[in-house]
Order: sequence, then structure tokens, then C-alpha cells
Amino acid sequence: MGDSELVVNGRATALASVPEDERLLDTLRWRLGLRGTKEGCRSGDCGACVVLVDGRSTLSCLTLTHELPGASVTTIESISEDPVGRVVQDAFVAEGAVQCGYCTPGFVVALTGLLKELPPSAPLPELLDEMQGNLCRCTGYGSIVRAIVRAREATR
Amino acid sequence: MIRSDLLAKASGATEFGTDLAEPEMLWAALVLAPIAHGRIRRVDLSKARAMPGVHAVVGAEETARLLGPGAGDPERPLFPSTEVRYRGQPLAAVAASSLAEARAAARAVQMEFDPLPIAGDLEEVVAEWPGSEAGSDPRMIAHVRASNGDLGEEFRLAEFVHAETYRTNGVAQVALEPHACVAKVDVGRWFVRTSTQTPFGIREDASSILGVPEASLVVEGSWVGGGFGGKTAALVEPYALLLSAATGRWVRLSLSYTEEFVLGRSTLPAVVRLESAVRAGRVTARRVRLLLDTGASLPGRDFATGYAIGFLLGPYRSDAFDIEGYAVRTNKPPFGPHRAPFAPQCSFVADSHMDSIARRLGVDPVAFRLAHVWRAGDVTPLGQAVGPFGLAECLEKAGALLAIWRRELPTADGFGLGVGCGYWSTNAGAGGEALLRLSPNELTIDQGEREIGSGSVVRGLVAVAERVLKIPSDAVRVGYSDTSRAPFDSGVFGSRTVGALGQAVEKAARRLATELGRRLGTSDPATLARDDDQLVAISGAVRRPVRELLTSEELRAGGLEFPGQHAAPPGRIDDSRVGAGTFYPYTDFTGAAHVALVHVDRATGAVRVLRYAAFHDAGVVIDPATFRAQVEGGVAMGLGSALTEETLWGPDGRLLNPSLLDYRIPTLGEVPPIEVHAVPGHPGAGPFGAKGLGEPPIIPVPAAVANAVADATGARVREMPLTPERVARTLNLLASGGTGRG
Amino acid sequence: MGFTLVAPDQPKEACALLARSAPGEISVLAGGTDVLPDVEAGRVRPSRLLSLRRLPWRTLGWNGGSLTIGSTLPLREIEADPGVRERIPGLAQAVHAVGSLALRHRATLGGNLGRAAPTSDLLPILLTLDAVVNLVGVDASRSVPVDQFVVASRSTTLRPGELIASITIPEARPSQYVWQRVRPSNDISQVGVAAARASRPPYWRIALGGVVPRSIRLEGAERLLPAVRPLVSELEAAAALAARLAPFATDKRASEAYRRQLVGILVRRAVASISPPIVPPVGVA
Repeated sequence: MGDSELVVNGRATALASVPEDERLLDTLRWRLGLRGTKEGCRSGDCGACVVLVDGRSTLSCLTLTHELPGASVTTIESISEDPVGRVVQDAFVAEGAVQCGYCTPGFVVALTGLLKELPPSAPLPELLDEMQGNLCRCTGYGSIVRAIVRAREATR
Repeated sequence: MIRSDLLAKASGATEFGTDLAEPEMLWAALVLAPIAHGRIRRVDLSKARAMPGVHAVVGAEETARLLGPGAGDPERPLFPSTEVRYRGQPLAAVAASSLAEARAAARAVQMEFDPLPIAGDLEEVVAEWPGSEAGSDPRMIAHVRASNGDLGEEFRLAEFVHAETYRTNGVAQVALEPHACVAKVDVGRWFVRTSTQTPFGIREDASSILGVPEASLVVEGSWVGGGFGGKTAALVEPYALLLSAATGRWVRLSLSYTEEFVLGRSTLPAVVRLESAVRAGRVTARRVRLLLDTGASLPGRDFATGYAIGFLLGPYRSDAFDIEGYAVRTNKPPFGPHRAPFAPQCSFVADSHMDSIARRLGVDPVAFRLAHVWRAGDVTPLGQAVGPFGLAECLEKAGALLAIWRRELPTADGFGLGVGCGYWSTNAGAGGEALLRLSPNELTIDQGEREIGSGSVVRGLVAVAERVLKIPSDAVRVGYSDTSRAPFDSGVFGSRTVGALGQAVEKAARRLATELGRRLGTSDPATLARDDDQLVAISGAVRRPVRELLTSEELRAGGLEFPGQHAAPPGRIDDSRVGAGTFYPYTDFTGAAHVALVHVDRATGAVRVLRYAAFHDAGVVIDPATFRAQVEGGVAMGLGSALTEETLWGPDGRLLNPSLLDYRIPTLGEVPPIEVHAVPGHPGAGPFGAKGLGEPPIIPVPAAVANAVADATGARVREMPLTPERVARTLNLLASGGTGRG
Repeated sequence: MGFTLVAPDQPKEACALLARSAPGEISVLAGGTDVLPDVEAGRVRPSRLLSLRRLPWRTLGWNGGSLTIGSTLPLREIEADPGVRERIPGLAQAVHAVGSLALRHRATLGGNLGRAAPTSDLLPILLTLDAVVNLVGVDASRSVPVDQFVVASRSTTLRPGELIASITIPEARPSQYVWQRVRPSNDISQVGVAAARASRPPYWRIALGGVVPRSIRLEGAERLLPAVRPLVSELEAAAALAARLAPFATDKRASEAYRRQLVGILVRRAVASISPPIVPPVGVA
């Protein structure tokens, strides 16, 4: 992997074909056809577009693709290939923490990144605090909190 | 029981409106008016047309040419040609090879206006209550009034009159998915695939706006990333269709989130004046005055004022009343329906008022409400008989829980408890149909609604079929097709999917059960079970595979089909009580009482909701998991309306906070655990006695929170949302001996 | 939109590029979380963005009690540093107050200062820590106290061709950052108050965000506080003075009057959380 490409879901993507002013969100959705990553506010305030960049949750609407040479990007489409991602996805389904589903990819990806970023000893309130950047308008968060608790238990 | 749509959604595989794409499609952008009111001198599209990548730029003139003279709805032109009525009103639209090119061209459109005076703030537009001349005042687009009993006598006999003025602010739906569609016009066939709550509604609306016969217009719904009332009227669709007609290409139009806030049809501010005559511990008469900002809504199209105003009397008896409201036209975008349109605001006003009277009388607020609340057999102020209604029981249970929480309340300063009540009714819409098709291994419910998230379609309709036929839920599939093929249905709004379309499913399922019973040679209806991957029909001791019960013709056609229809019998109000405008009867009566435990920081005015419980009469609960999910979601949305959400309008008609940073919906950090309780035993008009539940959970929330704040501090905040600054201001007034008492 | 991206790997080269460009033609891109929304909304229309990603500034280093943070280090790594959490808690709190986790994975301290965001949650705490901004230019490097660096909203004393290389906090101090918002989570603060206790006089540093034209130190209030634990009356006097002197304005987030009401409360809370005030025994004035 060199500076001329980034790796999306394990596949190398040449940067040469991407305009320099393009956001990662648009590269994913319209160049690579990975429209599981959702476009919400496009200003970094809703979390619907969160992907992992080298394992860290990242707002793809506020990130230029060309700022990520050599980086590894994980989107919702490949999250189930990650053992933690699989657990998180299953937890959201099992707890019914999904209604319209538009915020769900962002939640699943962000929680996957968070569970891997924090030590297993991190207290639940810290997890909940760090999930405040993802907005959901349908569920009222009750089922989402239950999914977070379930995923945390399953990954400890 | 896991909903069939969840895994795909949690995998990013579900295609929403914003995800729609077609080969070689063009990208569209709207040109929005930069002023709120003015005469149009010039909208010059020539420079935009010369921009790179541009395929079409259409304004008022081109629209007339494309659609033919006189086409469309003259009251609702796609682009105004003479006058701008709100900031953000579309004046032209662009289609280009890329979104960046479309937006650049939209910016290149040159516009000139003669500014006209801007009607901005509601209370500046109508500084005094309108007099008799209001009927001819062009600023008043609707006037409603109803009354009953001898108001003057009751006010004369009153021990005191409790008079208050409340204010409410605009709230936006904030579905996370903005409006988006793709459209293609092909020799006489106008096709649009769009994220909507109402595919048939969009067909009707777009047909009228474009002047295209409904028979030539086909609407296909995509998965919907949240609706909440915002996706019930045509918005992006006519523009995308028009641009496709101009270019012959697929056109995609998706609003930016800023545009979503401006054009998304939200609720607007209101002022309510209440006067209650109180005698012997009872409210005996009420006078209510409402001014509702309806923005640039059209005269005769205001549904909100007449529907909403009924809720201002609350679910409470009084012998005499006089209620009057005006819809006021301002230079804001037109008013739109937001989950239980204006009912949370009405509940905030009506139930804060009841709470305030109880405190003035020094009696328990719950007991005071129980002495007034409607019960089955009562008559509403507008003369409709109240059907089965469990609000009194919800209130009793809420009161009992409140007493327990009160005992556990920390002794430190600033904690308080409040109750809020709300009621609602299922809106049956224009009816609906479903078609059930039984194949040897699957039951399909063919219908015309798309799932918007609540589960009412993918889970609610399945649950109805399950109840009739005892069929395992994973053997039931909900089918959807576009408006050219699907059975007609009004759409997902008014808490009606299970309540109304569910009845169509129930009827079809019962017919199917009877027919299967007949084919089994019994007189009883059959049920269905699964044996390996085959369905078997059972009646008593008789049991046969479905495959053996179908004719060869039915097998060839895909199964045994039964349609079901539903049209709700409208309730009746007493027309003699209506003085002006339209008041609406209810289909059934659903009620809820909520309890909130809050902490108020007296120094900053910040309110935190720490515990919350909701008691709902939803009739017969068809699916407990969906019930819980709906209540949790509705309460959270209500907490936003109660505490942080409001659209802020500048004097120039500009929306000052069109972003998810400055328009603050609750995050995970603002929503406490919510206890959810069903109060059964009061059947509604839906299948098996179900009542609609999409809207009711949001209704009592602002009242419950405001009443808890009053309990915690003694201060009555009479404007929602209860932001820290508003609460602090009320507390300051109270401390300085002013008028903040609750 | 419609810009090119340039990402030099030498600071001098970056400065030279910047120096050669006309104003408005080029914007500096650190984490991008503030500049990209501005570009998207058309508030700025640069033809080029100067990316700092290849510059060697993603660093954090302690030198005794002094901390130097590279300008392009993501905020998340500052608050995650155990030394920062333990020794400069107010800095960790202020950094944590910025946006969401995903935002802090990209946003940087240099970006926040360089953009001079009017509502910064970071400037007040940096003021109380006497932070120094280390700049590199085409010809020379210099260091500027943060107090003299940010002039007003969106305005700094950066000279043409200069970039922020790092920020130095000369002394780890017991510190606290408190704020008030309409929505507690993920909102812009209506008022933010930072307090820190220094080892030398003046012993207390108190700074304020949510004021115009930019965050300020409240030196008058600081002087009313003694070296160690203040008396309740001293703290009240300091808070009251802060409320009287703060240059607030009304905007869509809060009125001037409400901000004024908040500042006294927040000053009391920030100082008290570092050093609980002494309640005099009954009968003592």
C-alpha cells in the first residue's frame, strides 16, 4: 500500500481518479457505490456518515479523500467481517435498536470503533458519553442503549 | 420476534431516497429566493445556462412552456412569477452532470426584486386580537370558532377566573434523511421514485401541481429515512419530474440539510390565551383564543387550525366554552404537519393550565384532572360522544407512580415531579385496501405503504395477519408495488397504518380463513401452521397442506387471493356548536398520561429529566415490542420539543438555525430511561380493538416536563421549549416578586 | 468546492507556499472540521487548500512540568493522554467539550486556534494556562502568548506565511473548565469559564468564553482570590466582579443578560471545584 491509494474495506482504491476536493463520503457513495454510509447533515453534526479510518470513527462528510493516502477505511458494508463489528450489528438487531435505519450504519460503525478504542474496563457511562455524536430521531435511544450494553458485555 | 427489515438496515443494504441512482442521471439543484417578500423584477437564467455541465435551467416561463398553458395549480405554481412570499421559495431549478455543477449554476442565476414589507413575527403582525373586520383581512387565512353553554353566566358565578397566556415555538421534523427522489419522464409516463410516507398522496399532489393526469403519473416509494409528517406532501418530486421533462434524462433531486430545514414544512409559532371560570373546585367554563402562525400557507388549505384547536380544550369537561382561532399568514415557509400536528403544543398549554389551576386551589393536580377528565360516555365540548377511553385509568396509574417517586425524591433543592395528559385519535384518511395472497409456503400482504421506521407496515400488518390466521410471522411477507399496481391506500400518517390499513388486512385474512375452512370441509375458519417449509391449514382435527387446497389456476397465479378494504365511519360532532370554520370529529379516543422527574438548576435554569414513565391507552396492543419502541421514540422527540428544539426566525424572515448544531434534537445524553406501560381494556376502532400509536407518545411530554419544573421550583414557564434561559428568566421574575408563579 | 490540495512535507516549504499566495486564495487545512463546512457553504472560496498532514506536528511531549502539543495532533489524543488528564484536568475537560468523538478524531488544537473560532471551548483554558503559540515562518520562528495571538473572531496575529507549529503550556496547573449550553451534549457553549491555580502570583487565572470579541482573562476577579483556598466571601466578590465586567453580547444562543447571570455562577463553580472555599465559622465576619 502506497501513498497513491487508500484501502476501502480491504480493497485498494487509486487516489489518482479522485478529485482533490472530494469528500470521503462522496467517494464512498458515488465513486465506489458504497451507499450504506449515509449522508445526513453533511456538516459533522449527525454522525450518519461515520466510517472507521485506521480504526478510528471519522466523519466522512468532513474528511477529504486525498487526506487519507495509505489509510485503511472500513464502512458498514464490511463491518460484519470484523468480530467486534459483527457483535455490534447483532446487538442492534437483537435489541430492535433500528427503526427507519438511516442513522444505524453510523451507530454500528461508531460503536465498533469505540469498543476497540477504549479499554474493556471503560465504564458504561463513558461509552454512552462518547456515543452522543450520533443522532437518532426514531428510537428515543432506549433500545440503542440496550444494544450498547449488550455489545459491551459480548466483547468483554 | 425480530423485524424483517432490521438486518438489512444494520448492514447498510437498505436503499433510501438519498441512495437512489440511475445510469446517466442528472443532478438537480433549486434556486431559492434570497428575500422573504418582494415583487419579482427579474429572474435571469442565461448565465446559469452557460455554466459547464448544465443541461437545463427552468423557471416560471419554461415551466409554462413545458407543461402547456394553464397547466398545473395556479395557486401553487412550481415557481412564482410575480411575488416571493417566503425566503427560500424556489424560483428556478437546474439539472447538470454533477451536483457541484448544478449548485454552481444555481448560484449563477441573477435575480432582482422590489422588496415588500415582511410579515415576520406573529405578534407583530397581529398586535391585537382581530375584530369583526378580520374576515376580510388578507393576513387571516382561516378563522374557526365554536361555543356552547352560557359562558357569561358561568364567568359571573365564578369564584375566580384563571387567565394565562402561553406561547409555543416552531418545531421541525428532522428526519435524518432529507427529501430525495429520482424521476424520469418518458412519452407520457411521469415516473418518480421517492422517499415518502404517502405514495398515493404524492401522486395526487404532483398531478395537481404539474397538471398531469393521475393516470400518467406513477410514484414508487423507496425506504424512508424517517418521516414524522414531513414526507406527506409533494416537495422535491414535481421539480425532478419537470427537469426530466426538460432534459429527457433521469434526474435526481435531494435537498441539502439546510434546505431541508427551510423547505421541510415545519410547525410555526403560536400564542394562546386561556381563561377558566372556577367554582367549587371545578372548571365550569373556558374561553380560549389561538393565534397560529401558518407562514405562507394558502387560504382554504389550513387544516392545522381547525384540527389543533379542538385539543386546546384538553380531554376535560366543562359546562360552557368559547374557543376561537385565527391562522395568520406570515412570510415564513408554509406550516406543515409534525408528528401529532400541534397537539403537543396544545397539551402543553391546556395541561399546564389545569396544573396551574390545581396549584392555585391547593389541590392535588392529578386528582383535579381526574375530576374533569373525559370517560367513555361523556360528550366532548363539540358534542361528540366519547367512546372507550382509558385516560382516567392512565392518570390514576400515573398518579400512583408519582406518589412512589415522590417518596424516593432526593431532599436536595430543585427536584420535582409532574404529570402531563394527552389525547388523540386515529386518522383513517381516505381509506385503504390490502390484498392477501396465500401460496403453499407463504402469505403475502400486497399493499401500497412504505415502512417509515415505526414498524407499522413490516411488523404491524404482519401481526394483524398473525392474530387472525395464527400463521408464523416469518411465513408472512409484506409486498409493495408502485401506485400503478398497488392497492390504494392513503399512506403512513395520522397514526393510521395499523388502525386503518390493518383493518383491511384483518378483513381479508378473515375471508381467507373462512374460505380455507370451507375447503377443509368444516364450517369454522381455518388457521395456518408450518410443516417443514410448507404451510398447512387447520380446522379442528382437520389438517391439510395449503398446496392441496389450492386450485391449479390459483397455484399458477401465485396463490389464493383475498382483498380487504377499509373506510372508517366518521364520528359526529354537534354542528350547532360550530360558529365558523371546520372542526373535525374523532374516529376513536386514545389517551396517555406521562410522569416526569426533573432536576432544575436554579442558578442556570437548566432542566434535566432524570426519570420518565408513560401510561398509554392504545386499545388492544397488537405487538408489544413495537408498542414500546413507539412510545420510547415519541417521548424522546417530545423531550426535544419540551426542552431544546425551536426554529428561530429573524425579522427578515430568515431561519436563523437551519442546522443540526443549532436546532438541537436530543442526543443519547438527554434522554433518561423511559418506563412504558400499556393500559388495556378500552378498545379502539382498529383491528381487534387496536388504536393508533404513531403520534400519541409525543403529545403529553412538554406538559409533563413543564409541570415537573413548576413542582420543583414554583415557577410556571409559559413558553416552550423550556430552554435554560427561559426557565432562568421565569425564576428571576419569581424571585423579584413578579409573575412567574405556577 | 473546486479547489486543489497541496501537502508539503517541509514546514518551510509550507510557509513559502502560504507566503506566495494572495489572501483568500489559499486556506490552511488541519483537521478540516471547521474549514470544510465553510467551503461547502460558500463562506470562503479558496482555490487551494494547504494540507498540514505531512508536517511532523502530530506530537505531544512533556518536559518536566511543561507540555508541548503539536498543532496537528487530533484533539482526541490530547484528552486521552494520562498526563494531561491527571496534571491539567481543565485542558482534558475543555478538549472533551469540543464536538463529538468522531470530530475530535480529526479536529486539532492548531486548527482551533488558527481559525479563531468565536465560540471556542479551548481558548479560555489556554488563557488560564498561559499557553504560548509557537509559530514558524518563511524566515523566522517566533512564540506568542495565546493572549496576544487571537485578536477577535476569525482573526489572529499570524503574519503572512506563518503557521502554528505547536502550543506550549509552560506549567501543569490544577484547572477546571465548566460551561452552560442549551443542550448539554454536543452543543456550542453559551458561556464557558476556565480556572487554573498557578504556582506563582497571580495565583488564580480565570478566563471566559462566550464574550466578544473573543475570550478574555478576568484579571480583576483573579486578584480578589488568595493563593490557596478562598473564603466564600472572596469567591463571591470575584464572581460578582466577573459578572459586572464581562463584555457579553446577545446572539441566537443567549441574551447578554443571561450570559451575565451565568458567568458569576460558573466562576464560582470552576474555582470551587479546584479549591473548595472556606466557609467561615458562625460569628466570624
